[in-house]
Amino acid sequence: MAIGRAVVLIFSLFGAINVSAFDDVEDYLDLQSGSLMGLAHASYGARLDSHNLMIGIGYVPELSYHKEMLLYSLRYRYENPTSWDIKGMAFTPFNFGVGVLIGDHPDLFVQLPERYPDGYYTPSAFRIIFNYQAALQVTPQLQAYFDMSIMDVGFIGYIREPDFYHDNYDYIGLEGIMNWGFGARYVF
Amino acid sequence: MFFNVKKLKAKFIALLIFVFVLSGCDYEVSPWSLDADCSDEVSVARNIERLKAYEQKVGPRAEYQVAIISDPQQYPGSFEKLIKHVNTLPEVDFILLTGDLADTGTKAEYEWVCKVMEKAKQPIFAVIGNHDALAFGKDLWARVFGPEDYSFTYQNSKFIAYNDNKYEFTNVPDRDWLAAEAAGDAERDYTMVFSHIPPWDFDLTLSQDLKDLGVDLGVHGHEHSFDYWQITGVQLPHYVVTSTKKKGFGLLTINPAGYTLENCTTSSCTVAQLRNRNASL
Repeated sequence: MAIGRAVVLIFSLFGAINVSAFDDVEDYLDLQSGSLMGLAHASYGARLDSHNLMIGIGYVPELSYHKEMLLYSLRYRYENPTSWDIKGMAFTPFNFGVGVLIGDHPDLFVQLPERYPDGYYTPSAFRIIFNYQAALQVTPQLQAYFDMSIMDVGFIGYIREPDFYHDNYDYIGLEGIMNWGFGARYVF
Repeated sequence: MFFNVKKLKAKFIALLIFVFVLSGCDYEVSPWSLDADCSDEVSVARNIERLKAYEQKVGPRAEYQVAIISDPQQYPGSFEKLIKHVNTLPEVDFILLTGDLADTGTKAEYEWVCKVMEKAKQPIFAVIGNHDALAFGKDLWARVFGPEDYSFTYQNSKFIAYNDNKYEFTNVPDRDWLAAEAAGDAERDYTMVFSHIPPWDFDLTLSQDLKDLGVDLGVHGHEHSFDYWQITGVQLPHYVVTSTKKKGFGLLTINPAGYTLENCTTSSCTVAQLRNRNASL
C-alpha cells in the first residue's frame, strides 16, 4: 500500500537524521495498547522541550470482533511541565495530543476508488484522534502512561450536540466518546 | 511536619476525576471494531416480531400511520428528539428509517444511533444507506440489524426494504428478489417499498419495473430534503424524506381508500405535493 511505503520512507528519514546531533532533542521508543491505536502500536518519538512528535505502526490481529489490519500514525503531544512526586517518581498528569491514524485494510481507502464520483467521500482510512495522557516516570529512562482518546466524529458530535451525550452516557457524556489504553516509552 | 492542604486536595480531586473518567471509557483497539453495543431490540427480526404481536393485539385498523425518518448521520441528538416526538403520536404504528444511520461506518456511530432506536415505542425498521456501508459498515449492519433486503406485512399491506447502494454493493437492487417479494400484490391493499436512494437519475427504469410489479409507493432518503415525484407515464410515486439534521420527518397515513403523505417537523405538518418529472435527465 502506498501509505506503507510512505511510512517506511518517513521512518528512514528519522533514522537518517541524527537526532542526537540536536543536543536538546530526546528520542525514544513508545509502545502502546488500546485507545484506538491497535492491540500493539510501536512508535518512534522525538521530544524538544514540551513538544513531542511520533510516528508509529500498529497491529490488530483477526479477532471475533475485529478484522486483521495494520494502523499507521503520526502524532503530536504536548507535555505540561506540572509534576507531582509519587514515592520518588514524577507523575505528570497534563499531557495532550492530536494525531492522524490511518487504517490499512482493503475495505478502507485513502484515495477515493474510481467507481465513485469525485468528492463523494472523504478517505475512510483516515481518522483524527485527540488524546490525553497521564504519565509516571518509573526510571530515568522508562515512563509508563495511561491514555484516553476521542475520535474525530466523537469530538465533533460532543461539541455539536452535548445534550445527547450528557443524557445518554455517564461522566458528563464522555463515556460515549472516550476510549482508554496504556503504554510505556523508553528514552535512548 | 508542614503539608499543603490545598495542593493535596487538588491532587486528590484530580486523581478522583481521572479514575472516574477512566472507568467510564472503553478499551478499544481501533475505530473499526465490529462489536457495536446494540441490543437485539433494533434488529429487523425483533421488530418484525414486535409488529406482528402488535397487530394481533389491535386487530384490523381502519387507518394507521407510519413515521419516516432518514439520514440521522452525525446528529444522534436531533434523531433522539424526532423519536421522542414520534413516540407521542398515537396513530403511528411503526417507523421506517431510510438509511445513513452512520456517516463513516464506525462502531461508535452505530452505537449512538442504536441508543436512540432503543427508545422508540413503536417497531422501527432500518434500511442500509451508502454511508452505513463505509469502512466495515457492511459487517456492522449484518451484526446489528441483520439483512439488507427484507419484508414484512401489516394490515394487509406489504412493506419491502431493499438495498440500492450501487457504489458500495454489486448487483443491487436485487430485482429477482423484489419480484418474488412483490408477487401476490392483487390480494393486498398496498405494496410499498423503501430504500435509501430514490431510483437513480441514470436508471429511472427501476421505477417502471417496480410499477410493473404492482408497487404503489416508494419511500426513500439520501437527498436531505423533502421531495415527492413520479415519472410521467409511469406514475409510481416516490417520496423522499429530509434529513434528521433538518429536524424533519415524513408521515404516511394509510387507509384502504388511499394514502397521504405529509412533510413534518415537531411542530407542524404540510401535505406533500406530488410533482411529475420526465424519465430522462
